Amino acid sequence: MFMHNTQIKTPATSGTNGDRVAVFKSSEKRSDQWSQLLISVGETHDREAFAKLFKHFGPLLKGFAHASRNEGWFPGLGDDLVQEVMIKVWNKAAGYNAEKASATTWIYTVARNCRIDMLRRKSNTQHLPLENEDFWHEPDEETPISLLQQKRSEDKVQSSLAQLPKGQDEILRKVYLEGKSHAEASAELGLPLGTVKSRVRLALQKMQVIVSTEAQE
Amino acid sequence: MNISSQFHPDETMLLEFSAGTLATAPSICVSAHLHFCSKCRAQLLRLDQVGSQLMSEAKPLELEEDTFDKVMANLDSSTQIVAKVDSKRTSYPFSVSKLMKNNLVSQTWKRLTASVDVARFETGQSEYEVALHKICAGGKTPKHDHHGMEYTVVLKGSFSDENAVYREGDFLVREPGDVHQPMGAQNGECICLSALSAPIKLTNPFGFLIKPWLRINPM
Repeated sequence: MFMHNTQIKTPATSGTNGDRVAVFKSSEKRSDQWSQLLISVGETHDREAFAKLFKHFGPLLKGFAHASRNEGWFPGLGDDLVQEVMIKVWNKAAGYNAEKASATTWIYTVARNCRIDMLRRKSNTQHLPLENEDFWHEPDEETPISLLQQKRSEDKVQSSLAQLPKGQDEILRKVYLEGKSHAEASAELGLPLGTVKSRVRLALQKMQVIVSTEAQE
Repeated sequence: MNISSQFHPDETMLLEFSAGTLATAPSICVSAHLHFCSKCRAQLLRLDQVGSQLMSEAKPLELEEDTFDKVMANLDSSTQIVAKVDSKRTSYPFSVSKLMKNNLVSQTWKRLTASVDVARFETGQSEYEVALHKICAGGKTPKHDHHGMEYTVVLKGSFSDENAVYREGDFLVREPGDVHQPMGAQNGECICLSALSAPIKLTNPFGFLIKPWLRINPM
């Protein structure tokens, strides 16, 4: 534990979104603009706030949809996904818990589940008794992680992601953006599966997503 | 219920779960483990942050002209889901409860051996057999090894093998070639969720007697 209180300051990250970095210095309140807007949508059905979220996240969601060419992909998927995700965002905003995640992370999880389910519906004729969303019903924590800790970890992810070696970065992008399994990434990159997994572990350690002292075997 | 488990999915597996690239059957097992394990839930949140950061770095693409209007026309405050008043912890993970409801598990328990009952789930995929196993108190299971991968999560009670005692929430992976002989705890029945990718092979001399029932049978 003692290692992780030391914030490694990296001067090379000032090019990123300035207002987001400033957030991490503020008090125990999530104050980045997207989270604030999402809270407004949830609390007061604020259509204007929703429109702002749409303008920002819509094109990113379409980019995310087009990054994956997995089975089931079709040309109109991008705009279909944007519609499905944004309507879900509207409908579920009241359940958004700013203490648990930033709006960006929350919207990412909605988008990921939607993308998988849309691709599956297109490529699968079998009846599917579970949707991807069903895997994500974790109970709320009895002792939640403090907001400050979470902001620190988001900050850390953001700054260290930009500095990962290409070999590690490339695999994370394949998995998260292209929706490839480690086995598929290994085949596409011509690397042994063990190498793919150890690069993933190294990347996660650098970003302090996993605590290095706990690294198994 | 909030006590962290002793045995967890490997972090690369959690990452695939976070990215949504893990196959359905292992995903069911990971989601069952998360129900019990606050440590992995915290880690998953950090993995989701990686995903969201990558998504926000994706190349933005211009939308069709009418997409925004279509969405705005569909916003209806009556369809908004009110925040859950109290998300009570149920004893079974959500995904497992849903499968049990769909599959009427209570009616499908089948005797596998003298001390093990099995109820198989319909999961819409055929790579893995997904099932619940119930080991009676003190029940011995036949010694077996594995041809494929087997993921197991203890949902209720505990069992042990040569190496350890496994309790609620513990997540186990058996790889091809692993041989083990699980045994139910003396103080009560044990219910496990498992996903099995290939037939297990019995290794005791009388194994052939029960082999047909242990054949993989994805539904």
